Amino acid sequence: MSLAILDGGTFYHHAAIHGQRYRELFDKTIYAPELTADALVGVTFLIVPDRVNPNILRTKRDVLIDFAKAGHTLAVFGENRADTWLPGVTWAPRPTNFWWWLDKDARPPNRLLASEHEFFQAVPFEHTIWHFHGVLTPPAGARALIDVPADPQGRDSGGALLYEDRVTLPGSMLVSTLDPFYHHGSNFMPAATKLLDGFLPWARAKAALRAYSSDV
Amino acid sequence: MKPGLALSFGYEDGSLHALTSAGTAPEILLRDIYSLPGIDLNDFSVLFVSMHSDQRFLAARALQIEQFLVRGGVVVANGHHAYSYLPRMAGFHTIHHYRLSDITVLRLTDHPIWHGIDPRDLTFRRGVSGFYGRVWHEAPPDAQIIHALGKPDMPLDFIYPVGRGHVLFHGGNDLWTFGGEDKQLASRIMQWVAGERDVQ
Repeated sequence: MSLAILDGGTFYHHAAIHGQRYRELFDKTIYAPELTADALVGVTFLIVPDRVNPNILRTKRDVLIDFAKAGHTLAVFGENRADTWLPGVTWAPRPTNFWWWLDKDARPPNRLLASEHEFFQAVPFEHTIWHFHGVLTPPAGARALIDVPADPQGRDSGGALLYEDRVTLPGSMLVSTLDPFYHHGSNFMPAATKLLDGFLPWARAKAALRAYSSDV
Repeated sequence: MKPGLALSFGYEDGSLHALTSAGTAPEILLRDIYSLPGIDLNDFSVLFVSMHSDQRFLAARALQIEQFLVRGGVVVANGHHAYSYLPRMAGFHTIHHYRLSDITVLRLTDHPIWHGIDPRDLTFRRGVSGFYGRVWHEAPPDAQIIHALGKPDMPLDFIYPVGRGHVLFHGGNDLWTFGGEDKQLASRIMQWVAGERDVQ
């Protein structure tokens, strides 16, 4: 066992996690209210999908932090207020522009900052581009992988949509504002499905590699 | 009339904002979904369930929800019914690789909640289709079907009785984010519950 995912119990978590497309990729599914340290024994890579109730995640804060402290990998997606339970996370909301793509000449503000990162070998940058919910300020020593410039209306000075933090805790944390589980599980956005098509097999491979290296 | 109760899901979202800023009378109170076991639903007229709700948890509270309905309560439920938290509901059907004709909103019955709202304004938002609904549910045989998706036998919005109460089911994005400022669906739902329950 190595790759685990939290299940927030919504219909879109159900579709994305228990649906035929991805379910074989998860070694373990943990209903978020039932998360315990024991449930994570043998897990090396834990995915916290977007839109898991942050009231639950705050009550599980110590379990999640201890998991990363043990040197494991935590991937945390958007709209679950990670800034209130995960160390190092600073998040600022930005009103969502759902419509940027309707103008055929429009260019998304998203910028790829680390094209050589292995994440993008699994997930092409264009599959990470849709509307976004706020921006992250990575902590000192963390590395932004995708960012956006300052809000044209001056409400924030820009920030990351995805960053990797290997310094705040002994483990590795991938933190994003994107919400692919909601959009894939709602059957409503092809880019979100393409992101998960790349990300989940990559996460599974990473998890297996770490499980193997900790065994030998 | 008693106030409405909306179950929140822990983070700010446009859907909850639309519901609580509608200025309904009576008001709609927000409570965290996980506080449901400690809530006496007899204190409320309507239970609003967002598409972002933990349905697995609600399924564990199915008896409380059914008893509320049997005594005359109204449940307004949104999203895809993935766990059995509502009585008499069957499953939903995903439409893979849908085209516009598959997700065009069809009005089968006039209803005061949607009075004056053109189904085309539900099918499209700024020219984009799919926000209102993308799957169809099997409705109970005595349900009043308001809208279907693509074909008349694919229910999207419907109302059905449970005891003295009713379920208003919408199998898509939260109803109260539609209708615009002048036709706010949250206010209309409260008006319908208050006196005009035109259901068979």
